[in-house]
Amino acid sequence: MDKVFLAQLETIVGADSIVRDRAELATYESDGLVKLRSKPGVVVLPGTADEVQRVVRLCHEHSVPFVARGHGTGLSGGALPLPAGVLIVMTRLNRILNIDIPNQRITVEPGVMNLDVSKAVKSEECYYAPDPSSQVICSIGGNVAENSGGAHCLKYGFTVHHVLGVEAVLPDGSMVRVGGSALDNPGLDLLGVLVGSEGTLAVVTKVILRLLRKPASVKTLLAAFESTEAAGNAVSGIIAAGIIPAAVEMMDRLTIEAAEAAVHPNFPEADAVLIVELDGAAAEVTALFGLVEQVCTDAGAREIQVARTEEQRARFWMGRKAAFAAMGRVSPSYYVQDAVIPRTKLPEVLGRIRSLETESGLKIGNVFHAGDGNLHPLVCYDDRIEGQADLAQQVASEILTFCLDAGGSITGEHGVGADKVDQMPKMFSETDLDTMQRVRCAFDPKHLCNPGKIFPTPRLCGEVPGPYRVHPVEAAGLADRM
Amino acid sequence: MGDAATSTDVLIAEVASHVGADAVRESTAVDFVDGVRPRLVVEPRTQEGLAAALGWAASRTLTIGIRGGGTKLQWGGPVSTIDLLVLTGSLNVLVKHRYGDLTATVEAGATLSSINAALADHDQWLPMDPPWSDRATIGGIVATNDSGPSRHRHGAPRDLIIGCNLVLSDGQVAKSGGIVVKNVAGYDLARLLTGSFGCLAVITSATFKLAPRAPSSRTVSIQLESISEMTPVLARLANSSLTPSAVELEWPPAMVHVRFESVETSVDQQSCEVMRLFEGLGTVQMTGTDDESHLWERYARHWDLPGTLIKISSLPTEVVELLVWLQETASEHDVEITVAGRVALGIMEVWLSGSHGAQARVVTKLRARFSEGEGSAVIRQGAASLRQQVNPWGPASNALPLMKRVKQQFDPSMLLNPGRGPWGI
Repeated sequence: MDKVFLAQLETIVGADSIVRDRAELATYESDGLVKLRSKPGVVVLPGTADEVQRVVRLCHEHSVPFVARGHGTGLSGGALPLPAGVLIVMTRLNRILNIDIPNQRITVEPGVMNLDVSKAVKSEECYYAPDPSSQVICSIGGNVAENSGGAHCLKYGFTVHHVLGVEAVLPDGSMVRVGGSALDNPGLDLLGVLVGSEGTLAVVTKVILRLLRKPASVKTLLAAFESTEAAGNAVSGIIAAGIIPAAVEMMDRLTIEAAEAAVHPNFPEADAVLIVELDGAAAEVTALFGLVEQVCTDAGAREIQVARTEEQRARFWMGRKAAFAAMGRVSPSYYVQDAVIPRTKLPEVLGRIRSLETESGLKIGNVFHAGDGNLHPLVCYDDRIEGQADLAQQVASEILTFCLDAGGSITGEHGVGADKVDQMPKMFSETDLDTMQRVRCAFDPKHLCNPGKIFPTPRLCGEVPGPYRVHPVEAAGLADRM
Repeated sequence: MGDAATSTDVLIAEVASHVGADAVRESTAVDFVDGVRPRLVVEPRTQEGLAAALGWAASRTLTIGIRGGGTKLQWGGPVSTIDLLVLTGSLNVLVKHRYGDLTATVEAGATLSSINAALADHDQWLPMDPPWSDRATIGGIVATNDSGPSRHRHGAPRDLIIGCNLVLSDGQVAKSGGIVVKNVAGYDLARLLTGSFGCLAVITSATFKLAPRAPSSRTVSIQLESISEMTPVLARLANSSLTPSAVELEWPPAMVHVRFESVETSVDQQSCEVMRLFEGLGTVQMTGTDDESHLWERYARHWDLPGTLIKISSLPTEVVELLVWLQETASEHDVEITVAGRVALGIMEVWLSGSHGAQARVVTKLRARFSEGEGSAVIRQGAASLRQQVNPWGPASNALPLMKRVKQQFDPSMLLNPGRGPWGI
């Protein structure tokens, strides 16, 4: 990289906050999706929003691409660095700036970890709702970029429903405030498109989050079934009964075994377990919980465990949240897929996945956010056996096709990143993708901000065709040409 | 006005070749939008027809107005010109109700109440209750991100929309999102279009997540001597773990209505609990199932009040102080105010009556109280003369240049709904 540019970068962040050593750069070569690796040209660790802004402005002046990264837990290569680019590591912006309990707001820097938000307001009986499985380590900035979900988004929504405002550095180095602590800031809902833009539109430096009050009552059960189909029927039955649980999670035999081996949650032996959690007003939870138990029994549950204590509830969730990592106990390598289907298509798609398992010879574990149809098939393989890694990749890709056939999506929460760029045309037409990239062109016409992610082919952001003419709106002084 | 040289008859013949002769006509007195008369009117029966009409209009650089139920034509910035008015009324089908998935896809021109009547077959609804549901269309509600009391529990349209089909100003058709509730593939254009006042593209259909209908509901109302007595009422509610579906304020007289919708036992228990919570603070009344619908129908009538409607947003804890100040200031200027709104969210609808000059001064003083992001006062509905004296949107956002770039990307010739979008974009 250009020496003058590097010297200027160092001036901005300081000598101890820049990484240029080849060996040290390797630390940053991938995020949670380790199969995609690329050493960044240089890494900076700014300590303030002002430093972030100056870094981005410098990149813009020199037309150097950059990628922002939080704690690197993303599973789609969204924070995959560029060999000729700057990796801006946001972890030092980790201050909680303001807590406003009466208005249920908290303002944080993007490097604050998800779970630390809830911890900071625990004594006030409040919490932050989105809870991705990586919440002990993932950062809020990454959550904003990915529009992270979690087990409890069935009832409470995703990150986009809980971010009220951000301060962000645009790719040209200017700072904007979008949204705010009050709702419905006038203007276009730029926040709605920024959240989930996978770091391709701006670098967020401050986030205002909505807090929720802890529910008066929480009840959780674990139900064991003879088949994933039976468990799927129970999920449909719960929804058909007009119940929106806080969470409905499903695990199949392979993932139950893996979780058992890793964290011993003491789940019953079964082909599928459901974890169903209800929360809210005590009388409502009591009434509906009885209904959920009935639905599970009717769907053929062999065993239902109700969490009597907070420890028991924590045990259920430990088993569920450890499922990904636990796969290492039963398989040398595995590929985590993330896809969505309409929840009524669960039995059909699971059937196709089972056939694929037989055909390919690779074991496939299944963990789902069953309530909202978000599947996480885990394709197991042994990378010591030649060709298996590629086969696993093919199998994972085939599963996406099943989900699209069922009317679903190629990603529910992990994002497109670098991983699924080639899958986007299966879900969206060229015009769809081109229309989305109009947003990109408005934010980042030079394609400097996390380029190469989401879209298979970048849209040219040149001059818009058509002759210039004075518009009546301009003539009336109501607007001016940009 | 675009293409003034071409006669309207010629234009009608041209567009008829795209949408059919019976879907196009010259405009009449009923077609005025905010005082502006369009040259011609089309009412396409299909998305393809709408796209063809827009593509044709773009080729002739004609400006486009979009009209659904026509309930909010005076909202937003003043319209400067409309050559072609596009009516969405014939795109009014419930495309699909996936009741097992709690989602529905609906065409933009359908009224909210017609959709909800159909969804009721499976005890579900699209949980929105903005003004004039019997006439307001899905497209108009989404374009204005409008909401009613149910926003307290279910959020605004932008929180419920999961995908849409849209037509760009050059007639290209695109989609965003999908039919599943959880989906992060690509940019979320459906949210970007929600609340954009039709200045970026025309939504032809949208998919939403739905909610089950609650089996039981009840409302507890508290009436107070003055608005300042509302502070402890709101504080006690905020500190409780009650789960109301709506918390609405109206004033005058100063009242708060707290609604519970759930299973009978919970509605019963929670309404008793809130009555205890309000003990000694004012006159409390509980309204049960039958009379309750009357209460909310009566409440909805405030939307028919004449005069200027402004939407104030503030931090929830600042609402009472703000309203006390507003009343004092308004009365100094001989302006009368009536208030209703989602008080626990800090969203207030305020009607002003008085001379336009005086109203403009009140709005300006009100806006001076807010720093950016911490509150706003937008003129939703108001006479053209008021909206010319004071910008309906308030002080320009620091992100306005970026919003203008988005507009330029989506509608480079600035043909769609000219003048109506935020700050005229």
